[in-house]
Amino acid sequence: MKKNFYILFDNHQNGLKLYKLLRDNSLKATISPTPRSLSKCCGISLIVAEEELNQVEKVIIENEIDIIGIESIIKDINPNRDRYC
Amino acid sequence: MADYKEMWKDLGMDLETHDQLCEVLPQAFTDVYLSQENRPENMAYYDFVVSEIHGVRPAELIEAQKKGKKVFGSFCIFVPDEIVFGADAIATGLCGGSQFWVPGGEKVLPTNTCPLIKASVGARLDKTCPFFRIADMYIGETTCDGKKKAWEILGEDVPMYVMDLPQMKRRKDYKAWAEEITDFKNTVEEFTGNKVTADSLKNSIKLINDKRRALQRLSNFRKNINIPISGKDVLLISQIAFYDDPTRFTQMTNALCDELDKRVEEGVSVFPKGTKRILLAGTPLAIPNWKIHNIIETSGGAVVCEEMCTGTRYFENLVDESKDGLEDQIDVLAQRYMGINCACFTPNNDRIEDIKRLCKEYKIDGVIDLNLKFCNLYDTEGFLVERELKKDGIPVLGIETDYTDSDVQQLRTRIGAFIEMLD
Ligand code: SF4
Ligand code: SF4
Repeated sequence: MKKNFYILFDNHQNGLKLYKLLRDNSLKATISPTPRSLSKCCGISLIVAEEELNQVEKVIIENEIDIIGIESIIKDINPNRDRYC
Repeated sequence: MADYKEMWKDLGMDLETHDQLCEVLPQAFTDVYLSQENRPENMAYYDFVVSEIHGVRPAELIEAQKKGKKVFGSFCIFVPDEIVFGADAIATGLCGGSQFWVPGGEKVLPTNTCPLIKASVGARLDKTCPFFRIADMYIGETTCDGKKKAWEILGEDVPMYVMDLPQMKRRKDYKAWAEEITDFKNTVEEFTGNKVTADSLKNSIKLINDKRRALQRLSNFRKNINIPISGKDVLLISQIAFYDDPTRFTQMTNALCDELDKRVEEGVSVFPKGTKRILLAGTPLAIPNWKIHNIIETSGGAVVCEEMCTGTRYFENLVDESKDGLEDQIDVLAQRYMGINCACFTPNNDRIEDIKRLCKEYKIDGVIDLNLKFCNLYDTEGFLVERELKKDGIPVLGIETDYTDSDVQQLRTRIGAFIEMLD
């Protein structure tokens, strides 16, 4: 089953900083609200591509970005689910 | 994931109940927004704002309050933000677009009140939205009966000032609205301790016009045959326009428009060829109400224009920037605002003319006339709107809905059939 990889942060500043760095390095990244199954606190996380995980980690280390971790959940995005909030 | 719990606690929020909203928002947002292909890169800013919706902006407002600034919350696009910013204060929208807040409103309001009002009252009384806690003063207006009476209930809990909006558009009504704006200015001055001067008002008129210009620019891209951005993305941007810092919002929206310029040059569309172009008319869609856009855009349609307060009514027409004296400035403010064609006016034929004009400008295949359940004004006006559009040969579908998910299957069937019929 396909998985989605999320990078979790302590604060949005780190999330935005890494987003910019990843994009500058032509790596895929999407800003997303953090799924509840990954954390009780809301706020941003970054969805990154599985095949680019190594490069993503390199950027994180090289730039000393503080992250909580990289987590994965089964990809389950469905625009026809019709569960609104 | 910043932890905003301390801030929310200091605001006196009901954390446990608020947590239930935090629970559903990520999946709803991901389903509706992150499922899209080929979104403009610059949507990242708005995704960020939603992801941190009850954190980042509230924290900014609290920071401003610590420095002595006042925050004014409003519920209608007739309330002139220019006055608030002209007094070195901050204006923010407060309309509730989530079912989550509705039961709280139903505790004190009749069930047959529109969900927008119920959600707005519920968000305050249940202490589940930081923006409703932060605003130092609420500004209401005498538009529909439901709102008018709701202000009396809200006024027992929070400082509330009500502007008396005329219901007709005669010369004396324009004058009356200018006087109301003057009274509002006096109230804001007294509450903030700051004077609105001709200079500060000139600046704030420019500030809000710039925001309107950015939204107009964004909207114009949707007139293209190749549509470079989805309707739901534009809806999200319009909703954020009510809450965000206006300077930053304008800057980010113009950055997005620069990207869309390139898309137009390259002929990029986010919809397949032949997708039907829909105009949505009617009652406002406050954040996070994304239901109808999502249903349309997953049923073979593209929303390319909203004749709504979260749409053209918010950004069409600018305030004349050439005036220098306070009195003249207030006159042109009154003129600009009285140009909004809301169903609370009678007669309101200009609104029908607006819709017909927009249908041409945006090359519309069909109109969906949307009504929030129990909105008597738009529901009644819908009869005239739909009749006149049909006379002009424009296909139109009238829909009534609320914030619940209970009617989604029925809506999918009806909207799907309507779009198919447009072939
Ligand atoms: S629909 Fe009318 S009353 Fe409601 S926000 Fe818009 S202008 Fe105000
Ligand atoms: S949607 Fe209708 S009933 Fe609801 S607040 Fe606006 S004008 Fe009033």
